[in-house]
Amino acid sequence: MRLSGQILLAAVLVFLIGPFVLICVAGLSAGETLAFPPQGLSLRWVARVFEVESFRTTFAISITLGIGATLLALLIGVPAAYALDRYNPPGAGLIRNILSTPIIVPGIIVGLSLLRYLVIPMGIGILPALFIGHTALLIPYAVRIVSGSLTNLRVDIEEAAVMLGASRMQAFFKVVMPNIRNGIMAAFIIGFITSFNQVPVSLFLTGPGVSTLPIDMMAYMEFNYDPSIAALSGLLALMSLAIVLLAEKLLGLSRYV
Amino acid sequence: MFQDRRLGLLLLAPATVFILVGFLLPVVILLSGAFKTDAGWHFQNFTEFFSQSLNREVFWRTFRLGLWVTGVSALVGYGVALTIVDASATQRGRLVAALVLPLMISPVARTYAWVVILGRTGIVNGFLTSTGILDSPARILFTETAVFIGLVQLFFPLMVLPLISALENLPRDVVPAARMLGANWFQVFWKVILPLTREGLVVGGTLVFVGSLTAYVTPAILGGSKVLMLETLLYQRVSVANDFASAAVIAVILILMAVLTNVVLKRIASTGKGGAK
Repeated sequence: MRLSGQILLAAVLVFLIGPFVLICVAGLSAGETLAFPPQGLSLRWVARVFEVESFRTTFAISITLGIGATLLALLIGVPAAYALDRYNPPGAGLIRNILSTPIIVPGIIVGLSLLRYLVIPMGIGILPALFIGHTALLIPYAVRIVSGSLTNLRVDIEEAAVMLGASRMQAFFKVVMPNIRNGIMAAFIIGFITSFNQVPVSLFLTGPGVSTLPIDMMAYMEFNYDPSIAALSGLLALMSLAIVLLAEKLLGLSRYV
Repeated sequence: MFQDRRLGLLLLAPATVFILVGFLLPVVILLSGAFKTDAGWHFQNFTEFFSQSLNREVFWRTFRLGLWVTGVSALVGYGVALTIVDASATQRGRLVAALVLPLMISPVARTYAWVVILGRTGIVNGFLTSTGILDSPARILFTETAVFIGLVQLFFPLMVLPLISALENLPRDVVPAARMLGANWFQVFWKVILPLTREGLVVGGTLVFVGSLTAYVTPAILGGSKVLMLETLLYQRVSVANDFASAAVIAVILILMAVLTNVVLKRIASTGKGGAK
């Protein structure tokens, strides 16, 4: 490595990661308002995060939504990826394109469309609408990641199982599934994080009593300038760090991103 | 490849129906609203939208910021990617992980960190006022600069990661060969590295440019109502004025820009391949 390159790299890493260190420190402030350097150190704002009622309820909603939407996306996404890879059905190209449209359409438009044309006219609740929006968003990820794992798995192994007397069902669950398990788990983690961090899709799909954590944080910071958002941001960053490190260790997550 | 096509379609049906009914249909209805008024189908909503100077300003600001963020990310990204590719395999793995990690952290948390840094009582102002360079804190938040910084931090990894994989696929001896034949570093980059890694640049450029155009969190937190971008304008039009016609127009603009970027950059990449031989 040349010196100039190393300096640039170091500067970029400070730019990318430094702010997280700062926000963690700012969240440990003892003062009344957000400031850096903080006015003394304490855990009062970290404790405060757990006392704010709306943070607690929206955290629960975000977790439930993230797990539920990712599970549904995988439940219908894995068979779709499998069919696209192994059966080459008529119109496969078109279907592939349809399944990836949620990536192209900006999230805010998805949320607004669902609000205007599913929630209001059809009387679907806000929560189910959030669930639909998040699931739609995650299907392309699920299909793409699982397709990747399937392409790496040779078809003849499955054919051999069928020739030896297994049904297609058995061949899938006993031969294919164990081999794409890591891909499915990576898709689950990436899907969950995507949903948990999602703002634009949820923006129009929140109402009184129903909101997600990131949306609630944005609403809170509009009217409060205390260090609690910094403390909460620090906690969320640490949570993501823990999930990613664990996943990297178990699955080699960065191969799937 | 299996023969039973009906079974294939059956497996595809749930996901396809879900996307069509729960996603595409509502979106298409919303988009069609941009071309509809009480008088029938036409482009009146668009001309009305662009006749207002605020809307034009927001449109150009979004476009400009997108170009700046993409350009700076590409420039710095090449420097960083070249350095990382030079590193040993273990180091490289760690550095890539350090680039991927921020992508996994909530954009709200990532963006809020800049409030700590750029705010009135933040680090930058603290430094400037305590050293006496400024008498009173400067306004850095709620400026285009703040939004630009936030967007670069948010999207930079999406530029570097494809550049790294493109550079890894670069044949190892082409750079030394060009050097030996007398090319200086600028020529090596411009005539050898750039043409051969064009596809990585296009992938990264598309992700960063489209990401910046359609960003919501960063302009909302760091720009507020003073520095609107298209998405924050859309939100404001709907939540403040119930103006669904403008919202539909913005939606069409955003999707058109995203699709056009994809098409144009892909074309550049494929013509580039012919030219680089």
